[in-house]
Amino acid sequence: MTPKTAEADRTAPVRDADFTTISGRELKNVYTPDDLAPEDLGENLGLPGDYPYTRGIHPTMYRGKLWTMRQFAGMGTAEQTNQRFKFLLERGQTGLSTAFDNPTLYGWDSDHPLSAGEVGKTGVAVDSLADMERLFDSIPLDKVSTSMTINAPAAWIFTMFLANAENRGVPLEKLRGTIQNDILKEYIAQKEWIFPPEPHIRLICDMFAFCADHVPQWNTISISGYHIREAGATAAQELAFTLMDGFTYVDAAIEAGMNVDDFAPRLSFFFNSHMDFFEEIAKLRAARRIWARHMKEEYGAQNPRSWLCRFHVQTAGCSLTAQQPEVNIVRTAIEALAGVLGGCQSLHTNSMDEALALPSDKAVEIALRTQQVIAFESGVANVADPLGGSYLIERLTRELEEEAESYFAKIREMGGMVKAIERGFPQQEITRSAYEYQCALSEKRKTMVGVNEFVHENEVLEIPILEIGESVERDQIAAVKKLKETRDNVAVKDSLDALEKAARTKENLIPHLLRCSHAYATEGEITETLIKVFGEYREQAFF
Amino acid sequence: MPTLTPTLWDEFTNGDRRACARLITLVENHPDAIPDVHDQLATRLGKAIRIGITGPPGVGKSTLNALLALGLADRGHRVGLIAVDPSSPFTGGAFMGDRVRMDRLVGDDRIFMRSLASREGTGGLSPATPYVADVLEGFGMDRILIETVGVGQAELDVMACADIVVLVLQPSTGDSIQSLKAGIIEAADIIVVNKADIPGVELALQALRFALGLGKGRKDRPVPPLMPTSAQQSEGIDKLLDEIEAQAKRLVDSGRHLEMRRARIAREIRSGIERCLWEKYAARADAESGIAHAAEDLARSGGSPYPFIGDACAKINITLDRKAETNDSQDR
Amino acid sequence: MATDTKIKVVVGKPGLDGHDRGAKVVARALVEAGMEVVYLGLRQTPESIVAAAIEEDADVIGLSVLSGAHMTHFPKVMELMKEKGIGDRLLTGGGIIPTKDQETLTAMGVGKLFGPGDDPSLIVNYIQDWVKEHRREN
Repeated sequence: MTPKTAEADRTAPVRDADFTTISGRELKNVYTPDDLAPEDLGENLGLPGDYPYTRGIHPTMYRGKLWTMRQFAGMGTAEQTNQRFKFLLERGQTGLSTAFDNPTLYGWDSDHPLSAGEVGKTGVAVDSLADMERLFDSIPLDKVSTSMTINAPAAWIFTMFLANAENRGVPLEKLRGTIQNDILKEYIAQKEWIFPPEPHIRLICDMFAFCADHVPQWNTISISGYHIREAGATAAQELAFTLMDGFTYVDAAIEAGMNVDDFAPRLSFFFNSHMDFFEEIAKLRAARRIWARHMKEEYGAQNPRSWLCRFHVQTAGCSLTAQQPEVNIVRTAIEALAGVLGGCQSLHTNSMDEALALPSDKAVEIALRTQQVIAFESGVANVADPLGGSYLIERLTRELEEEAESYFAKIREMGGMVKAIERGFPQQEITRSAYEYQCALSEKRKTMVGVNEFVHENEVLEIPILEIGESVERDQIAAVKKLKETRDNVAVKDSLDALEKAARTKENLIPHLLRCSHAYATEGEITETLIKVFGEYREQAFF
Repeated sequence: MPTLTPTLWDEFTNGDRRACARLITLVENHPDAIPDVHDQLATRLGKAIRIGITGPPGVGKSTLNALLALGLADRGHRVGLIAVDPSSPFTGGAFMGDRVRMDRLVGDDRIFMRSLASREGTGGLSPATPYVADVLEGFGMDRILIETVGVGQAELDVMACADIVVLVLQPSTGDSIQSLKAGIIEAADIIVVNKADIPGVELALQALRFALGLGKGRKDRPVPPLMPTSAQQSEGIDKLLDEIEAQAKRLVDSGRHLEMRRARIAREIRSGIERCLWEKYAARADAESGIAHAAEDLARSGGSPYPFIGDACAKINITLDRKAETNDSQDR
Repeated sequence: MATDTKIKVVVGKPGLDGHDRGAKVVARALVEAGMEVVYLGLRQTPESIVAAAIEEDADVIGLSVLSGAHMTHFPKVMELMKEKGIGDRLLTGGGIIPTKDQETLTAMGVGKLFGPGDDPSLIVNYIQDWVKEHRREN
């Protein structure tokens, strides 16, 4: 860019429009070498596969291995979800991702009074090992990597998964997959908690330790910004709160006596990919750089694998519209492309109908095809970090890193993330951002096509909508009641008593949970046993 | 103009919670209806103990309040609970989130909870609060908890309608003490140090004792006890309940409760007369503009406002004298 | 001076759904429009919602349901409102609710329901208009 054209750009008339990012970040008309600091192309950058990993965690990136195409799936009964898993694998999906229904996510059984109306609605209902057996029936657990999106009761859903693998003769060290297990973002954004933070964090550390010894290929946590973003955070807030959550887990595990290199290589992350293309790419690059620097320099991790911020990306559910749902295919494609250009390790593409219902077979197939088009037709997977060195991208990456660092400082000043959550700091920041974005939409400073501009009047919905029959809840309740009558209830009681006793000590609880799972203790029974020891967390509403 | 209908009163006296709620709305929304409501309620008032709960934001007042309400109910009381939240001075709207922390009270017939927006009050106590407390007492509640948020002048107003003032603090926040309005510490009958389940709380309590300047004798009342509580541990809450009940008993036995009630009624009469006189004056066509003109002149010329005040008083005196009989009936 | 037209709205999330972004944004919009909003928070039961609405003498109950359980929660709350004698108040809300279900709920007496993409001002206007038309005198 010569000075002459830059000058012309500054004075030429521009449209009457908002040129900030979706997070409200100011952008210039054009970026030039003047926008970069010397380190932006030097120590901040490096090569793909080199510290600080701004450009990706592998030297060859997608030439070496494509990202895992992993569609989040779960609805109705275990059988229904099992069929959806097989449908996706047949169509070329390369990993599984399990969505549980609300009662399961809260640690309650399907027959709990507050579960009424929710069983199997937004995910699959799992009450005990019996459901886990049907959920993964004839799926090769040693070959397909499996992700499970569950947090508060993660430890005992995980042990049901392990119990199933053991019963099928699959060695635990062969299991590959991820359990979300990230409770801090629950307090911040998704609000699916059981206990106060301390016992939850203890259980997470127990998982770190148990898996390091017994399930070494398992990602013990997926530290998630996704839900934080969906709740209304800006890109910088998503980045900052997620990584700060990550540091909090690292602190906790070190405090529990673990060596950082024993557990850090199995930490993984989960980010949102929203509509603002370049800002999202920069956010993902910044995440890797920040994590690597802190792990190496602050925590003194020696193993390079401890420095890696490996992450899953999901396109933004909150960007989808109920209006003209077919247009969501386009939105998802753009967001997915940002995820890939940001260097994700696995990717979920939302289905076009998700602002209306759970995805139909047709919608989920198109979503998967979107990834396949990006991977196999677009050519973007041929070059590692193709945007590296772009004035805009490198500048944005640095800005996001700086913003995240200033949030870290603020949160540290409050005494750390748990303290910040207790006083509602991240919650309030997110609520404010959500409201500001809504105002921008209401005032049409920001546009959602088909929603606040270009509205298609009298639209008739032309896509199929998946319905979950009311029989699912009845059947599931009947099944769990029957289970409670037919299993060995003495073994159940013994295992729960042992769990309760251990919970009152500092003992690792995972082996006890595994024993309960093998005995077909239900999720709700385990939850209630632990509540006796740990108490319940109550909502703190912050605005 | 909504009024107190016989049906509503019947439902109210029959213990219908909807009627109680509607009567509260009536005194909250229609100050003109207050005299009528009061005439009806009068014979039912005088026994309840009103407990003001105040303190800086974030110290856990709502959670504590919920536990106190349950504890008082378990001790055989019927409990009214008023949570006051600030109205936005810009929009007039209010966000009232106290129920989030009080959800375990819902459906408990021994307890009636109501959220109030401060409305024209500047951020503490809704002007209707004492009347709402009266309605709750009339409904049979003998312990009324009144919670205010924020820290300001309005916190002092808690005292005007509370028999016992509980100031809630937390151990770690020395700075929050400095933000307290002067006078509020002196007004407290009990100081609660909430969230006291942290290690080293004894040191924090000592520091607070020092910071609050407790220990100096107060002329007419005992030094307020400093009581640690935590939502997780019931022991502190039980002790706090004991203290509240002991103070309540002392208030009644010593006749101080009656004395405070007498003072409140006198205040009510005084402010009723004030309001009435003001309305008489304000009813004159040139009332507001007259004051505005006078103020402007006086501000420029530096004169005394008292000749104007004397003039104005003379005007209403004459008016009052002339229409004494008809006004009398209206004012009732 | 106290206005006699303050609209009081009880906002809550029934069931197990923790997604409260919409509920909070709408609550804030109602406050900005001058309404008094009693926020109940998460994990509410139909009983707790209706009991709170009674004590608060609310004009309107607003529920947010994104969990697919709307055909359980809305009818139960409506039924309970009628049973407890506050069937004359407005039950409205929003979430991911298919048109077919909305129609069924409307037939039961539930008010208008709003979906993703609907501007909060639509809800504000709807509530204001409804209250203007149905305001109880006492």
